[in-house]
Amino acid sequence: MDALIVIFLSGLISLFVAFTKKPILVLLTSSIGILAAIGLFIAQWNNPVTLFSYEGLEFTNSAILYSIAVCIFGLFSILVGYNIYSKQPEHTGEYISLMVFSLVGAVCMLAFTDMFMFFLGLEILSIPIYVMAGTKKSDLRSSEASLKYFLMGAFATGVLLFGIAWTYGATGSFKLTEIATAISTASETGQSSILYVGILLILASFLFKVGAAPFHFWSPDVYEGSPNTVTGFMAAVVKLGAFGAFYKIFNVAFPEVHGFWAPAIMVLAVVTMFIGNLSALSQVHFKRLLAYSSITHVGYALLTIITVSSNSEANLWVYLFGYGFSIIALVTIAQLLNDDEDKIDAFKGLAKRSPFLAAVAVLSLLSLAGVPPLIGFFGKYLVFSEAFTQYPILVIVAIANSGIGVYYYLKTIIAIFQKEDVSEEKIEIPSLQVVVLSICALTILVGGLVLSQYKFL
Amino acid sequence: MLLATIFESGLSMEYYLILSSILFVIGVVGVLVRKNAIIVLMCIELMLNAVNLLLVAFSTYFGKADAQIFVFFIMVVAAAEATVGLSILVLIYRNARSVDISIFNKLKG
Repeated sequence: MDALIVIFLSGLISLFVAFTKKPILVLLTSSIGILAAIGLFIAQWNNPVTLFSYEGLEFTNSAILYSIAVCIFGLFSILVGYNIYSKQPEHTGEYISLMVFSLVGAVCMLAFTDMFMFFLGLEILSIPIYVMAGTKKSDLRSSEASLKYFLMGAFATGVLLFGIAWTYGATGSFKLTEIATAISTASETGQSSILYVGILLILASFLFKVGAAPFHFWSPDVYEGSPNTVTGFMAAVVKLGAFGAFYKIFNVAFPEVHGFWAPAIMVLAVVTMFIGNLSALSQVHFKRLLAYSSITHVGYALLTIITVSSNSEANLWVYLFGYGFSIIALVTIAQLLNDDEDKIDAFKGLAKRSPFLAAVAVLSLLSLAGVPPLIGFFGKYLVFSEAFTQYPILVIVAIANSGIGVYYYLKTIIAIFQKEDVSEEKIEIPSLQVVVLSICALTILVGGLVLSQYKFL
Repeated sequence: MLLATIFESGLSMEYYLILSSILFVIGVVGVLVRKNAIIVLMCIELMLNAVNLLLVAFSTYFGKADAQIFVFFIMVVAAAEATVGLSILVLIYRNARSVDISIFNKLKG
């Protein structure tokens, strides 16, 4: 919990430091705050610290693991966005501290033990992102993305709250463990039907938040219209936060009625994979392609939610961790290509223009496609092998879908190595981007090999 | 179990459940069919208020205060959300001179 306070304070201080109109100070304050928070999280491993004897937040090992990943992705988003934000020194403070505040929400969302903190965390995570999506103020596409994300997000919040209220009506509690106890006590006499209404509404709002079918339609528009840094933040941080909470609520509070919600998620996972993949095949816009590919990845990740196993939570983490690095690397590269139209054609001849960017882009795309020995392969391998004993047909469908996915990733890779009619103009890479991209590339390359050696949860 | 009479007025719990469900559905339908973004925003607020009513009713039914505290949180968050939402609408209006959501079709493909 002290780490959470450190993140919040670093956001607050960077907001005030911004009055000096020195963007570098804002960057330093927020980065040092997030790094300190990561340090505090690591110190609390197996050794949770409780402050103010407050029980709403509990930093178990899994919450710490997810929180560290969220902090890393948040820090990367701030670092790669700095070059753009510092062009408007009077607004740098707002942009960066909004991201830091959003991180506070993500950490609340990963460590909650009752619906209060979950709801507050979700809103603290979402509200800054509604604003950040519209930070290209004169660009109508950015405003449109912001409005769409806001309306969809607020609608999903309403549905979620209605679900929480019905669940409260059925079980008489907001605490996850008490809800689980109430459900298992009632299972002898028969569940109250309003519990099922509550679970379905909560499920629908989670599908909205993670961008799964049939509630995925907002995500391509929002990903395309938002500034690239914010797209990376949404794809990496929001997905991790939402999936962490998704897993926790359904596997801590509702495991007793697994037979009720698991078939629904099973069907939707298949639909999500197919919709994401088939729509991605015909895309010419790069960020739209990433959005559809992220929908597909949500479909794979949904498998962990329904797999009953002690490893599921760790597998989900490995999967989203690898995914986050790839997506942040790719949006950063797309931003450096500085193509407002955001066409895949902008990648043509990248291998000649900048071998470094081309290498990182190829690594990230191959990792998304799931090529061994990259981290994306290990994520998929862990998720699929764990799910195979329980849902063999589902896993076969998922593997077939990975096969379809290779097509559009390779299309981009072929564009990168194209030699004809490409511009010879070299690309200048700011040093912050070099650092972030190198760390991403390194993690993608060896992260899977390292992580697969340990059983850490 | 919900048939028990709970409030002094003698209204049964069911009426509160039905009323809040109707309010919620009006909100949902409004979000889905209305074209003016401000009306959509109002419909979302209506959804949240339906939830508030439901929570207060359950809270009295169980004789516990925690759901009423939750209602305060929802009110605070709804206010924050409305603030951000209206700011986004001002931004949109500056760029597009309209808040009709059907004109927002720049992003597709």
